[in-house]
Amino acid sequence: MALSVMLEQLVWPLAMVFAVLGGGVYLWAVLDGLAARSFGLPQAQSVWLTPLSRGTWLLIQQANSTEAPDLWAWRLAPALYLALAAVGLALVPWSQGWVATDLATSLVLWGSLEALATVVIFLQGWSANSHFALVGAYRYVALGLSYILISMFVLIGVALPAESLALTRIVASQQDVWNLVRQPLGLPLFLMVGLALTFRGPFNLADPRDLAGGTSVEVSGPPRLVWELARSAMLVAFSGIAATVFLGGWLGPWLPGPLWVMLKMLAILALLAWLGRWFAVMTPSRCLSLMWLILLPLAFVDLVWAGVVALL
Amino acid sequence: MKTSIVVDVAFWLLAVFAVYTGWRVFRTDSMVRASFFLLLSFIAVGVIMLLLSAVYLGVAMFFMMGVEMMVMALFMVMFMMNPAGLNPMMMVHQHRLSIGAGVASFVMLAAMALLAEFPRHPLPNDVQPVAALGNELMGESMLIFESAAVVLLATMIGVVVLSSQRGRFGSAEQGSMPPGLEPGGDPAGMPDEDEQAGGHHHCH
Repeated sequence: MALSVMLEQLVWPLAMVFAVLGGGVYLWAVLDGLAARSFGLPQAQSVWLTPLSRGTWLLIQQANSTEAPDLWAWRLAPALYLALAAVGLALVPWSQGWVATDLATSLVLWGSLEALATVVIFLQGWSANSHFALVGAYRYVALGLSYILISMFVLIGVALPAESLALTRIVASQQDVWNLVRQPLGLPLFLMVGLALTFRGPFNLADPRDLAGGTSVEVSGPPRLVWELARSAMLVAFSGIAATVFLGGWLGPWLPGPLWVMLKMLAILALLAWLGRWFAVMTPSRCLSLMWLILLPLAFVDLVWAGVVALL
Repeated sequence: MKTSIVVDVAFWLLAVFAVYTGWRVFRTDSMVRASFFLLLSFIAVGVIMLLLSAVYLGVAMFFMMGVEMMVMALFMVMFMMNPAGLNPMMMVHQHRLSIGAGVASFVMLAAMALLAEFPRHPLPNDVQPVAALGNELMGESMLIFESAAVVLLATMIGVVVLSSQRGRFGSAEQGSMPPGLEPGGDPAGMPDEDEQAGGHHHCH
């Protein structure tokens, strides 16, 4: 009795989270390779093999060190970022009753993960005791606040029609019409938050080429592998949350709920891969202006829109 | 009310972790490390609040303290002459006074914990902590909270608008003049008029 309850409530949901995290990270790498190829960038070998060979190479490569780093924080930061991604994916409901972490405030917990990610990314850059890494870390902190604010307003918008902060209730509130249609500004804004949170594409300002790799400039070998895994895993968790709050989560005809969630996550990852390759990297000051002067007011409009629609 | 042994074990582990990381705040030698030890301590307290069914307040602790400690670390490093926060520095000062204050507050809080009569109100099964908290905050005090929120937001946006002017010497339409060496002085680093050959202007 106790064993079957434990299997059903703890073991299977957790196994699901780890399986999707692993599979999602691999598929993201493949999608990114396909997006690169679609823009004519040459690929050294098959896009299906590149992530595996790169991972193996990083695993056997020597782990670099610097002069007097904060070794605890430096080694823990990639693992903590990965842990935040895993907690984020654990919040995603696969079907009505199948959620690894079913909390009355799961939406707010996702917001907290975005805030804690700022701390972890800062630690990754700060603890290396190297100045390009430090510049990347400070850059992320300076810009991170604006990403978090936009994310918060967009997420409050989806909580309004559901009258709840639980992701399961937010999915249930989309039975008739998805939030994608009801709040058309929401998903585009949230997608930009996703790219910013994992510093990809136009918002790669923490680990960019102008800083020779930013927060991870000094990181090689297995810690580098964990850091890259964690960045991709965070994007996979993000796609799960985006599919849940904007694309109706498990809702859909014919197929079982979990499969719908995964298909929608895959669609979001493919879109992000393409967007990330389409837009060029911005300069930090332009990014700040874009965030505060354009995207944040749009997030207000989205929130007012959501409120008016909820009242009608 | 029935609590499982898992909850009890989790409570004690988290309590010990919160106290340990709280103590490390004062024993470490860097402002950044001190801030994040404090963050770890608050996160442990937040999880204890989740165990106490305060689902909103516990989770709010994570994001409030996450941003707050990050901003605190940033500003402390910025205002003190310790550029990266990696240089060792003493994290405590006024030793006698702080030891006295610490002992006094410990005795006071411990006495309260031991001597006070705490009410026993077991949670009803149908309690909805988030809705109840929302009614408490937004029922009576709606006006105060909402106006404070709007004022804070307006302040934040104002600060960014004032400080996000692009360009090293001001915005492009004002002309890029380097500032003077003393307030109101002539622009620094400008070549004299007669040294310029062929009417070549460096500043526009």
